[in-house]
Amino acid sequence: MRSYRSLVAVASAAALALALAACGSSSPSASSSSLGTSAALSTGGYKSPLTEPLTGGKRGGTLNVLQEIDFEHLDPGIAYFSVDYAVVFATQRPLYSQKPNSNEETPDMAEGPPQISDGAKTVTVHIKHGIRFSPPVDREVTSADVAYAIERGANPNVATPYIQVYFKAIEGMPTATGGPIKGIETPNRYEIVFHLSEPKGQLVADALLLPLTAAVPKEYAEKFDKNKPSNYANFQVATGPYMLKNDARGKVLGIGYVPGKSATLVRNPNWNPSSDYRPAYLNEIDVKIGGTSTVLGRQVLEGTNIVQNESAVAPPVVQLAAEKYKSQLEISPGAGSHYIAVNNKVGPFDNIDVRKALWAALDRTAMNKARGGELVTNVATHFLYPTINGFEQSGGLKGPQGPQFDFNAYPEGNMRVAEKYMKLAGYPDGRYSGHETLTVVGSSGSPAEQDAEIVEQTLKNLGFTVKFTLVEASTMYAKYCNVPKEEITVCPSVGWAADFADPQTVLNIAFNGTAIVPTGNTNWGQTDVPKINAALAAAENVVGREARAQAWAKIDQELVEDAAAIPFDWDKQANIEGSDVDGVGDIWNVGEWDYSYTSLK
Amino acid sequence: MSTSVGELLPSRGGLEFLDGAPPPDGVLGERARSPLQLFWRRLRRDRVALVSLAFIVLLIVVAIAAPLVVSILGLPGPDVQNLNLTNSFGSPLGPSWAHPFGVDQLGEDVMSRVIYGARVSLEVGIIGTGISTVIGVAVGMYAGFYRGWVDALLSRFMDVVLSFPILLLGIGLGAACSVRGCVKGLVQPGLGTIIFIICIATWPYIARIVRGLVLSMREREFVEASRALGASDVRIMFREILPNLTAPIVVYASLLIPTNILLEAGLSFLGVGIRPPTPSWGAMIAQAAPIFNTAWWFMVFPGLALLLTVLAFNLLGDGLQDALNPRSAR
Amino acid sequence: MIRYIIRRLLTGVLLLVIVCALTFVFFRILPTGNPALLRAGRDPHPNLVKEIERVLGLNKPLIIQFWDYLKEFFFHFNLGYSYYSQESVRSLIAERLPVTLSLTIGAAVLWIVGGLSVGIVSALRRHSLVDRLSMGTALLLLSVPEFWLGFVFLLLFANDIGKLKILPGAGSYVGLTYDPWKWFTSLIMPWIVLAAGSAAVYARLIRSSLAETMGEDYIRTARAKGLRERAIIRQGVRSAINPVFTLFGLEVGVLLGGAVLVETVFNIPGIGVENYKAIVSSDFPVVQGTVLLAAAFIIAANIVVDIAYAYLDPRVRYR
Repeated sequence: MRSYRSLVAVASAAALALALAACGSSSPSASSSSLGTSAALSTGGYKSPLTEPLTGGKRGGTLNVLQEIDFEHLDPGIAYFSVDYAVVFATQRPLYSQKPNSNEETPDMAEGPPQISDGAKTVTVHIKHGIRFSPPVDREVTSADVAYAIERGANPNVATPYIQVYFKAIEGMPTATGGPIKGIETPNRYEIVFHLSEPKGQLVADALLLPLTAAVPKEYAEKFDKNKPSNYANFQVATGPYMLKNDARGKVLGIGYVPGKSATLVRNPNWNPSSDYRPAYLNEIDVKIGGTSTVLGRQVLEGTNIVQNESAVAPPVVQLAAEKYKSQLEISPGAGSHYIAVNNKVGPFDNIDVRKALWAALDRTAMNKARGGELVTNVATHFLYPTINGFEQSGGLKGPQGPQFDFNAYPEGNMRVAEKYMKLAGYPDGRYSGHETLTVVGSSGSPAEQDAEIVEQTLKNLGFTVKFTLVEASTMYAKYCNVPKEEITVCPSVGWAADFADPQTVLNIAFNGTAIVPTGNTNWGQTDVPKINAALAAAENVVGREARAQAWAKIDQELVEDAAAIPFDWDKQANIEGSDVDGVGDIWNVGEWDYSYTSLK
Repeated sequence: MSTSVGELLPSRGGLEFLDGAPPPDGVLGERARSPLQLFWRRLRRDRVALVSLAFIVLLIVVAIAAPLVVSILGLPGPDVQNLNLTNSFGSPLGPSWAHPFGVDQLGEDVMSRVIYGARVSLEVGIIGTGISTVIGVAVGMYAGFYRGWVDALLSRFMDVVLSFPILLLGIGLGAACSVRGCVKGLVQPGLGTIIFIICIATWPYIARIVRGLVLSMREREFVEASRALGASDVRIMFREILPNLTAPIVVYASLLIPTNILLEAGLSFLGVGIRPPTPSWGAMIAQAAPIFNTAWWFMVFPGLALLLTVLAFNLLGDGLQDALNPRSAR
Repeated sequence: MIRYIIRRLLTGVLLLVIVCALTFVFFRILPTGNPALLRAGRDPHPNLVKEIERVLGLNKPLIIQFWDYLKEFFFHFNLGYSYYSQESVRSLIAERLPVTLSLTIGAAVLWIVGGLSVGIVSALRRHSLVDRLSMGTALLLLSVPEFWLGFVFLLLFANDIGKLKILPGAGSYVGLTYDPWKWFTSLIMPWIVLAAGSAAVYARLIRSSLAETMGEDYIRTARAKGLRERAIIRQGVRSAINPVFTLFGLEVGVLLGGAVLVETVFNIPGIGVENYKAIVSSDFPVVQGTVLLAAAFIIAANIVVDIAYAYLDPRVRYR
């Protein structure tokens, strides 16, 4: 998740990882935690979403939430960051969602699993009967509401960030602008059928757990969706156990959500507990926005019925919790990865050996130390990270093995190996001797800043001349790193978190040559290897969990062999709670506290 | 030719001068000296000002010879990263014999960085103020000498610039020029941008004062005399009037230096000034902010350095002012 | 007198418009981020970005954009909407203005009272120990960077991380109506930090100004005539107050535009912080609005001071 409220000095959440939550396909066993246990998922003895009990909580009480940064978008059609998801998934019910400790797609608004048929070109979903919208809409949810929820995503006033990425295969989607879409059919009140122009049924079925599929009542919302941009978020209704407090007209802005100040969630009177797997113990959730992460952290650790929620707890607070408040600290693995994007098209890094040299020279342990050490990081040795399907198949913690991966074998950096590759690249001294100056744009705020400086120093050690700048994270992405024309040579502060646990969401847009766009480009390195592009296209259509794991693991290894970018960190997110809180975090949302499962002791 | 330094002016926001005309011959039993000579004489007698001057000179020397100083003290360079000097959570270690001021989050030696940080502050203070003063003197001179519509135009211009909140302007420019610089690369990010901001925003202070002084001075007999002798305007401005303004210009410029140093510190603190890894005291304080309650050394020492430097310049400025203006109560 | 006031007001408005125009140009021409891009989210279709640009009016010529903006401002008092939160800039400012007012007014009171009293006492007891101590402290306070002073105070007195836990720490600001005591105590340290530098300047200024005045002939005459010391001091202060008055107006004007540094250190949700955030994320409408506000305060302060001078010294009116 990215946090661009970096009031410089303030311990801003470094998170440079984009995206958020996810939901995803899962491994076959449907036990309480389908993720099992492995070294990659261990959390040093502290509790994690994989160990927190999902039942037996006490009903009642108000939970206070301290949150340094404001929400980005609370509209279910636009919400895309982990900080938003905590609220959105407590108030909205997409077709499918996940339980806190699993990556399994659990039917939520849907009655059962999605039916993929017709050569993976049709996906059918039946929705539950009797689910109602919150006041003031009050009526039953129908399939037409789900259809509208998806259709409005194509409306430029809404502009769902991921709609083309996952739903482009639906007939009529590429040219949709908010009106009815040919490929979305609702034969009756409780059935919705997606007709696809390509056999991407598995992908679409997996993507149905994104918040875009949470029902939106058309007759109520369309007047808001006419505004540029849409302000439905300020008047939204809920289908989940909680709702943003509103008035009789449905207005949320200023009541249930005061931008920059607070948000209030109350129980949704129209929620039917028997139709939902969520326990919803709490009566009310009061979010207070603002403050310094370090200060908020202390208040939480020393307080009661209070938690901190956002993408990263400040390192000194993590240390304090780990030393003095052990039972109040949660570590959640699989919180995304961070890597260094190097320009494969323009500049010295278009040479594969130079890329390998940087990989070999980089001290990944130091990079992770600056992020808080082993408690919250794992040294990354490939691109798929723990909890993603295919992680183990790609080599697990150690990564792909073999002599051709020698540049990957030294987490603390190895200048000898680096020099070897520089020589192979045509620099006989083992150091860069060309005349180009590298442009490096990193993100300001701890720890991104420190990591960027370590990268800069490593580049200098390799003999490069570097023009180095730190800017605010959102500007770094939107203006520099996402724009190929800017020809930034190195973006050291980029990160990724999957939209759901399918490996495609980690590797595809990030490394597919056909996904390079002039603005908003997230294939930052502009990797464009025909062999890899072909493999990516083929792997997209593979059906079945295990088969996909194998196919994508292979691509992962090929990307490592190509040194397309340099991964250094697999994040483990730390979250903290007050002493009387039985917090339950969502493993698919960087361990952020799940308001529908958390209770007070 | 007798000249006088200035007169009591109803200037706003500035500080008034008293007429510094020298006493007539024989009263004090010694030869009358020009005001400028008296100025230096009085300055020499002010011990506090001299000590400050010595400190500043020392600082300049240390800044220039920073690499030497650092190696004599046995410290690593300011950019030398060493993550082993952090604990298992990544928190930096405190002061020790090897690192008297402790280290920062990257294991860089704080003392070393404080020493190198002097370079930025001094460059900003002296060069930035210098250029700004030149601009201010030029504009003020023209405005005060020509009066009429030239003065009206330039004064309005000064008003507009003065109505702009400087810090916000600094943030805007700093953020905008951060990667590729501004004015087609003439203004480089970092130090260049800060100096650019200072030049744009602070010249009116000097300009206003110079204007006021010139306004009063142009009526003097020596100017009339020069004109009668056929001197050109430019000659009168820069050969006759300007030398008399040396002392007040020096005083006001020196008062501006600490303000500019603090401005840079503030902008770097907000993240739009000097970029890492270049050490800047303000930026160091910003980097220390997330951990300052546990890593106090990283916050305290750069701040002390700032405090002492600005204090020295203020004391010097005070001394200069007193030397200029002896009858003011001190 | 009335004509002077009107003249000054008109000049002020003109100045404001010029500042507005300059801000407009600055922040759009300078190489900051394209707000359409920033709003478009991940992986936007180029058409979407174009559409957003059109919606936000970014593709119209600069002059037209500026004219639209002026019209909205003067006729509807509408300052536009934030590119990020879609909240109206006017309400954003309205929310944060009371906070900044609390900060500024409290600090102003502190520094006027503190600065003047210390300055007067020092002037009357020149070269005494009190004088030397206060002037020394003043010099120290002048020279300290205020954001650093803020951190030092927090380290010493904040009740969460300080050595002596007596005052609320950073981030504890609440509205006056919400909890008056907490509001007051949470602002004590910020007030002192803000006031420190200015109080020092005033103390020094009034000291030199007053001491000078006290040495004037007419004061000596008054004394010789047997006027009471108190009255004499009052007379002296009234004459000496001019430069202080000017400076005061200016500084309050500047502060009302938002004291970014102090607000950042103490996490006070004022206008300064809002402005900073807006600038670094290229949220033009918010930047425009807050800079305009800051400039308006400075200009207003200048006008007030000018009018006051004109009232006290009629010669000024005819300049």
